[in-house]
Amino acid sequence: MSSTILLQSIGFGITTAAVVAIGAMGFTLQLGVTNLLNLSFGNVMTIGAFASLIAEHWHLGLAATIIAAPLAGALVTFVLARTLFALFARRQGGAFDLLMVTLATGLIIQYTIDALAHLQVFQFSFPSGSTLNIGPFVFTVLSLSLVGVAALVLAALLAVLHLTRIGKALRALSVDPKLARACGVPMRRMINLTWIISGALAGLAGLVYVTNSLTVDASAGLDFLVLVIAAAILGGAGSPVGAVVAALVVGIASEVVAAVGGSYYSQAAGLGILALVLVLRPASGVWSGPSRDEVTV
Amino acid sequence: MSYYLSTIAVYFGADLLAAWALNMQFGWAGVPNFAFIIFQAAGAYTYAAVTLGPDSGVNSFQHYILGANLPFPLPLLVAALAGGVVSLVVGLITLRRLRRDYQAAVFLLAAVIAIDVVSADVNLFNGSNGLAAVPQPVASLQNSLGLGAYQWVYAAFVALICVGALVLVRSLGRSGWQRALRAARDDEPGARALGLNPSILRLQVFVIGGMIAGLSGGLLVGFISAWSPGAWAYSETFAVLTGIILGGVSNDWGVLIGTFLIQIAFQEVTALFLPQIGYPGLTDALVWVVIGVLWLTVLFVRPRGILPEKRFRVLAVPRTRIWRGGR
Amino acid sequence: MTLPATAHDVPRRAGGAVLEARDVRVRYGGVEAVAGASLTIEAPQVVGLIGPNGAGKSSLLAAIGGQVRTVSGTVLLAGEDVTRLPPHRRARLGIIRTFQSASVFDGLTVFENLLVAGIGEHGATLRAALLERRRAHARTEAASQLARSVLEEFELWHIADHYGRELSGGQRRLVEIARCLMRDPKLLLLDEPMVGVAPHLVERIGEHCKRICERGVAIVIVEHSMEVISSICDRVVVMASAQVIDDGSFDVVMTSGSVREAYLA
Repeated sequence: MSSTILLQSIGFGITTAAVVAIGAMGFTLQLGVTNLLNLSFGNVMTIGAFASLIAEHWHLGLAATIIAAPLAGALVTFVLARTLFALFARRQGGAFDLLMVTLATGLIIQYTIDALAHLQVFQFSFPSGSTLNIGPFVFTVLSLSLVGVAALVLAALLAVLHLTRIGKALRALSVDPKLARACGVPMRRMINLTWIISGALAGLAGLVYVTNSLTVDASAGLDFLVLVIAAAILGGAGSPVGAVVAALVVGIASEVVAAVGGSYYSQAAGLGILALVLVLRPASGVWSGPSRDEVTV
Repeated sequence: MSYYLSTIAVYFGADLLAAWALNMQFGWAGVPNFAFIIFQAAGAYTYAAVTLGPDSGVNSFQHYILGANLPFPLPLLVAALAGGVVSLVVGLITLRRLRRDYQAAVFLLAAVIAIDVVSADVNLFNGSNGLAAVPQPVASLQNSLGLGAYQWVYAAFVALICVGALVLVRSLGRSGWQRALRAARDDEPGARALGLNPSILRLQVFVIGGMIAGLSGGLLVGFISAWSPGAWAYSETFAVLTGIILGGVSNDWGVLIGTFLIQIAFQEVTALFLPQIGYPGLTDALVWVVIGVLWLTVLFVRPRGILPEKRFRVLAVPRTRIWRGGR
Repeated sequence: MTLPATAHDVPRRAGGAVLEARDVRVRYGGVEAVAGASLTIEAPQVVGLIGPNGAGKSSLLAAIGGQVRTVSGTVLLAGEDVTRLPPHRRARLGIIRTFQSASVFDGLTVFENLLVAGIGEHGATLRAALLERRRAHARTEAASQLARSVLEEFELWHIADHYGRELSGGQRRLVEIARCLMRDPKLLLLDEPMVGVAPHLVERIGEHCKRICERGVAIVIVEHSMEVISSICDRVVVMASAQVIDDGSFDVVMTSGSVREAYLA
């Protein structure tokens, strides 16, 4: 592979990383606070993408198109969490039982969208702006603004988590929910907030994903989920900075692999990284042992 | 009608093998193998690859990978072997001491990615068009008997294999090995502290399940003569799983009932007999929505299924308590 | 094949001490949980391991049982070095333990919980399940008989068919200890076996400990209640700040002031 192609794919990788990072930050926040590995996350990303697609289709303007995705993501996630997940959490409550519920939910969402969308793949046109050369890399205005959005999200998340009382409460919750409750952390409100923020990030990730890939169908989110989860696990549950760093690794690796082996191998690269993480076992809360099994939804 | 019935009988047999295999992994060992369908597909593709023979030029659109044309029943054995080998590789990576929910995520994503790659890469198994014109076993029999009778012979053969599988599953199900698997499922450190090695136990059940899955894939492709990514969408695993949960996890007969209800009475019958509504593909999508809803409903209403796992009893119990069964 | 029935035979001693843990260090991240602790048990006896929370008692047990890796130090069982062995290998050699939160297999009945231990790793192989059916059957028979006698001794026979998930906290403790006996331990490690157990059961667990010890099993028991310690232990080891600070008979340790020092430190 020539070095130009390598550099080019690294440039693409940075854009992909921005997209992955937004989803991974939402995923890791959700996982860290609720301890629920929500496999319907990818489907919520799809919902976000479709929400923006519809807004664009109705010519609601750029602002509405952008806002539609996180709004839909937050709404759907919140409603799912407060109804379905809460219902099952009250009944059995183990982390794995609830994962099964999120899986079934994802299946329902995916095929409902499929049915509504007439199984079609939709084109999504988003002005990508002029091309810029920065150092050896080639970016478009759009891809740079995606990086900007990811950086903004990271900054906002870090500010909330580390500078506000809400952030302190969230971090306490993720470490020990029982103790946090005993210390007077308003559980219900904090968890609802988590669902809304992470849902909004899922929706945003969905939108950002399609501005990059330019097509969307019912399985788009699920296909993309592997990169998101790989980044979230690699970065350590509950750590936004970890998620962003891991997203860079995953994003660049997937684009380089795509440049070498064909675009359909880019997701496989994500899976490969995930497998590698599992084999090499870094220290994190991922490994079985004295981990908590209860979820707080 | 007879044609439909024999077709459904073969499907049921293959689904049943798959369900028993997945139940070993999921029910006994607690391995959330949401990539189960991959191992069935591995068997199916391998079966096709070793029976297709050299490129004769008839199907010019098709890639011929091995050019082999093994005589029956060797392709089935090779299919089972392929399922086992793929399981071994996947198992060595995923069956580490990983939290079950993370494991589940990895399996799900592996299934999603595998199908994307196989669909897109034409050099692998002919991409999304898949492999066609896979020869049926003992094709000469088809000429002498006629298609209808041949189908029933095939169904009988599948039934025979199912009986064999049932004997295997039941004898394993009563063994110390199975009990050790369940112990490791419930409490890994506890099982280890008693001298059991959960990693080995789980790898064993994973490979056995993978072999049965590969066998069922081989049986399917030998019957329908074609195999493509459309046959093994990641959601297929959940049809198998919903059948298991509905029927009763860790209950062989329950799994049989659940598989029949979900995969035959619901899925196949709607596919074969229901008139298509709306645009093509709508019924299919709706069937999956209903399976998802059924899954949630079973989890909520009767999480232990129609026939719950049979309790190992050493005490004599009054009849009334037996009647209350699983509780 | 030594079936667990030998547990009821005379005390046996191989060469060397039952347990010799020398200068064991355990570290979690940057925290040193055990900083060079030694514990030798020459002959079957009940050893009480006491100390305040965070003193490193459970970590020392885990280092002996193999649940955590030691940074340095050696663990010998009957003269054999087991320091590098994983927990299941140590269990096969005779180090059997209970856990702070009772480990019971929830999806197995009480009887099966004992069977799993009684049949052991030899009866849990795929080969036994498929090829050596008759031998596996004989093994199951023998283990069943032993399980029945152990359950009767623990007065748990009436709940033999209950699933683990249907048991009360106290019952879980008893089942876990009963299960340990099925494995014919040489060394039994009990991590706070009395927590959450009703008072009359506490007494019973204590009696069981003494009886198990009389059969030739060395026991290390982590316990907070001095009453329990004084009634069942032949010897008391005191830990504080990741180290063993005292070791002796109950009366000696109580008068030496080390216990006060441990809890005030």
